[in-house]
Amino acid sequence: MSKGFASNYRIVLLAVGIVGCFGALGARLVFLHVIDRDELVRVIDKARRQIIVESARRGDILDARGNILATSRSLIVLGVDPQSLRPGDEKKWPQLAELLGMPLSDLARVFYTKTRAPAAAAPKPDAAPLFTFNPSGAAKPATPDDDDTEFDDTPNENGERPIRWAKLSENVAESTYAKIQALDLKGVYGARVYRRAYPHNSLAAHIIGYVNKAGEPAVGLERYADFYLHGRDGWREGERDGKGREVAQFRTREVPAADGYSVMLSIDSTVQHIIEAELEAIAQKYQPEKATIIVSDPRTGFILALANYPTFDLNDYNKVPKDEQGAMRNIAVADMYEPGSCFKIVAASGALNENLVTPSTIFDCSFDRIDYKGKSRSLAREDHHFADPQHVPLTQVLSYSSNRGAAQLAMLLGDERFYDYARAFGFGQLTGFPVGGEIDGSMAPPSKWDGLTITRMPMGHSIAATPLQMQMAMGVIASGGFLLRPQLIREIRDASGELVYRYDTVVKHRVISEQTARTMARLLTGVASNEGTAPEAAIPNYEVAGKTGTTQKIINGRYSEHHHVASFIGFFPASRPRIAISVIVDDADAHALNGVAYGAKIAAPSFKHIGEQLIQYLDIKPVYAAAGATNLVMGGVRP
Amino acid sequence: MKISSTHGLANQLLIYTLILIGGGGSLGLSAVWMRHQISLTANATKVLEARIADVERRVSETTTAIETESDPNVLLQRNAEWHLGLVPPGQAQIVHIGEDPVRRLAAKRNRALLGETGGVVAVAFPLALQR
Repeated sequence: MSKGFASNYRIVLLAVGIVGCFGALGARLVFLHVIDRDELVRVIDKARRQIIVESARRGDILDARGNILATSRSLIVLGVDPQSLRPGDEKKWPQLAELLGMPLSDLARVFYTKTRAPAAAAPKPDAAPLFTFNPSGAAKPATPDDDDTEFDDTPNENGERPIRWAKLSENVAESTYAKIQALDLKGVYGARVYRRAYPHNSLAAHIIGYVNKAGEPAVGLERYADFYLHGRDGWREGERDGKGREVAQFRTREVPAADGYSVMLSIDSTVQHIIEAELEAIAQKYQPEKATIIVSDPRTGFILALANYPTFDLNDYNKVPKDEQGAMRNIAVADMYEPGSCFKIVAASGALNENLVTPSTIFDCSFDRIDYKGKSRSLAREDHHFADPQHVPLTQVLSYSSNRGAAQLAMLLGDERFYDYARAFGFGQLTGFPVGGEIDGSMAPPSKWDGLTITRMPMGHSIAATPLQMQMAMGVIASGGFLLRPQLIREIRDASGELVYRYDTVVKHRVISEQTARTMARLLTGVASNEGTAPEAAIPNYEVAGKTGTTQKIINGRYSEHHHVASFIGFFPASRPRIAISVIVDDADAHALNGVAYGAKIAAPSFKHIGEQLIQYLDIKPVYAAAGATNLVMGGVRP
Repeated sequence: MKISSTHGLANQLLIYTLILIGGGGSLGLSAVWMRHQISLTANATKVLEARIADVERRVSETTTAIETESDPNVLLQRNAEWHLGLVPPGQAQIVHIGEDPVRRLAAKRNRALLGETGGVVAVAFPLALQR
């Protein structure tokens, strides 16, 4: 039997040594893992555990053709720690200034300002920054705003607080930041933030709205559709190393961020641009107080474009002066006006729908008073001089916009029925438009009418409506008798572009029969003809149907002769409507011909101009055979 | 081997201990190696994630820049700056087509290829005639 390869003494010594080492190790482990465990875990958790929030990307707002109207992009808020600057880097400052697009003197001023005097104490001569030399010769060192600087908590021996971070720019693009990083300037670094960008600046500003600097959706669709747009932030729990960097292998729990959905609108940016260009032209020519143009598809109620004057740039929403904040109002839904003669469609449609009149019914518009419910009521004067005022057919009541004819139509209906029709057309109630702080207008019930209301309301006085209400009311005739809800959102799509939800036409109710709508459309084509008030709106071969409005504004409690709201609201082609357009211009009298802003002179030409462009863009085909023949003769060859 | 001897038992214990230490060490080293590999993989994943995020940010920036340049006002400005003289087509230049444009273009192309006879041309089939 072997004795073994070691002596007894050595073996015992080795065994004791090994066992002792293990024992010591075990004892230490017991201390670490059992006795001191809670305290150590607490310290480690505090020092190493971290939860990193992963921001979800806010969804885009797209137009009907997929063009981006609002998107999120990362920007760098760039700053400098003046204490960390290296003298050797000074020669790179001009490059940095050029990349940031700021004067070198301004940049140097921020770099040289290393401390900040206590706010309460007056600056002492000896409390100047450490580096007072200023190569640009600027007299005064910069004093950054509180929001733009971070200080050490403890003041130095002079009582000043060393600046640890001073902002240089808050809108540095990723590509620019990469170039700045390549300069290798010690102490210059940035923080990445996600900001909302509006590539088309002021296009559809009143619809899109904006997200403020704090990341909160303030107004418009940004706010209304925030539920879809905002997404859900993710997070991951893990550990960080001594330099504060995440130690990837120690991630324990991870919830991925879910990016926001994209919202696709019915707004078409080209149509929107067309009407905004038209508004710009109106503004330059007439300098009105305000103006609105709305374009919609009368078959579905979807809004294709909506613009107001004045407007604002979404990227610079915070730079709008306080006295010009009115430019941010969506006056198409938040302001009301007396619709004037455009409102005559209500009385005419009601009377036709109740079979009280036909297009050939004759009205006597020669007298200025009329008996109604046993009382004599005065009638408003006519704006048009009829050759035979005792025999004015319904066709001319509309085409020449007879105030007295409209009053008689309403009287045929009676107070209640006329009011009911006005309500059915959507007046005095919200249309359901999602953005802009919509108001419901003003329309008193018959119980609150005075003796003149039945003669004035049919011609669009004693009632106030929003431009959108008027647009949708005209849409009742164009849609074949239905009041539709105006809609802006077509689809909701997820981050990968898959369809989540599609919005469809919402019919509120039927207002008039299809036959009545067809008759009214035919009657309204007379307005945009040589026999009507607005031949300026006519587009050859396209059956423009519409109604002019020229409303006196109430100034100091009285109807003014010098301040008007000019409007033209219509659609085409009348026999198969594709487009409805409202043009409403407020107070353009100062620069109008003869000092009165008539709807036919101010709004109707714009209607036509917009219509002609939309015909091409939307490929709206002419209705008359003559037009087809003309084109056939041309044989498709461009002249 | 009999284990009645104290020396033999001690030797065996020593050998087993050394084997245990060796085995444990190997296991430990394997675990360390494995954790190192996990660390490398995790870091590589983190770098890739950061790279993907960076690319996405740049894509987003580029998309925004493209969209800004596609703005109708910018295009109009470029048209004026570069003296391109582009104008929208006039109504007289527009031909409204009632039929399917694809069929119409196909017919037009066929007419161009086959002549104005509308495709009715004499075609000979020599092989068929030989039969």
